[in-house]
Amino acid sequence: MKVFEISNGSTLSLSLFTDVTNSKELLDSMQTGTLEPETAFLNASLIPDVFPLLAAAHKTLLAKSRESLTTRTLHSELVYNYSGSKHITESLKRCGISDSSNYVLAARFNASSDEMEAVGKLVNGKKIDLEELEGRANQAQMQKHYKISGLELGKSSLADAITCRIAARDAL
Amino acid sequence: MVSQQKGIPEFFNMDITASSEDSSLILIKQGAEARVFESTFVGRKCIVKERFSKKYRHPSLDSKLTLKRLNAEARCMTKARRLGVSTPVLFAVDPVRQMLTFEYVEGPSVKDIFLEFGLHGIVEEQLDDIAMQIGDAIGKLHDGGLIHGDLTTSNMLVRSSTNHLVLIDFGLSFTSTLPEDKAVDLYVLERALLSMHSSCGNVMDRILAAYRKSSKQWSSTLNKLAQVRQRGRKRTMVG
Repeated sequence: MKVFEISNGSTLSLSLFTDVTNSKELLDSMQTGTLEPETAFLNASLIPDVFPLLAAAHKTLLAKSRESLTTRTLHSELVYNYSGSKHITESLKRCGISDSSNYVLAARFNASSDEMEAVGKLVNGKKIDLEELEGRANQAQMQKHYKISGLELGKSSLADAITCRIAARDAL
Repeated sequence: MVSQQKGIPEFFNMDITASSEDSSLILIKQGAEARVFESTFVGRKCIVKERFSKKYRHPSLDSKLTLKRLNAEARCMTKARRLGVSTPVLFAVDPVRQMLTFEYVEGPSVKDIFLEFGLHGIVEEQLDDIAMQIGDAIGKLHDGGLIHGDLTTSNMLVRSSTNHLVLIDFGLSFTSTLPEDKAVDLYVLERALLSMHSSCGNVMDRILAAYRKSSKQWSSTLNKLAQVRQRGRKRTMVG
């Protein structure tokens, strides 16, 4: 688990899991709203680095502080913001987890270490280091999802390009 | 810092304290449209550009214009990236406080490099390399239908780590495919180079040579540029 400071003392805690076997259960309890503690589960193959996710988290907290969340919960908002798209259902499907996901990043705002421990118990899978994000990310899928051309990648890293898409979404 | 703030007219100064609720914002530049601060964004050094409201405009018109320009800038920066031109990474857009947050690019501006050439002699290879990158970048923008609108040497940075050219300040950018707009874009740069960096020799020729290689539509643009040179940036609207 790793904790990142986002803004004004708020934090985001992250844990990365591979070989996850119970994503269907997780998805079900999330959809019925019974997931305890409330956590965001993201499709980690679309995350090449933590930074774009932290930018999405920043945006989420800002919306929360203004009471202007677009989705129902703080944590679903994080998934929606990470997607860089305005289509909520599609965002949650692609950047969240599905029945068959086995590579998952769990994220929770202002989590205590006990809570993150609890999250670790919710997920049936192998916990791995966040450093593995870059090597395990699916470049083709990310390029397609965020519509990033090869031309742009000649000048910028994939993580930077994704950060731009996340930040600029509402301006486009 | 104190002396810098003294130069700011009273009516701008009023809401500086109000808007900088984050104590980490450090003012580094103040222009007519926006203030630029240095700060940090989730652990990275960043630049914050805040468009302030103009008190002389009607409030509803003011917020409409400011928001439109804020979004246009974010959009044009993203478009430039898609066309393969380096721009700072956009970290956040805040329509409520009318702020854009970008990556802090470590490196000197082309203006500083050229002024240095003027003082201590020209480094030919470096000048060539920069002129080539400028021409190439503008060619890519123009072919993609994007006009930068404020091409001056202070709006171009050279990233220290890679020596790559980074274009900044898309605040006056717009989309257009007209040779006229592209020619004026180049003309503005030509005038800026002439007035600031005449001691660097004819940089514009080198830039245009690179532009010709990079842009497929170079011939109509450069023809137009010849006309624009005759009459200046503004079109005469007589008759």
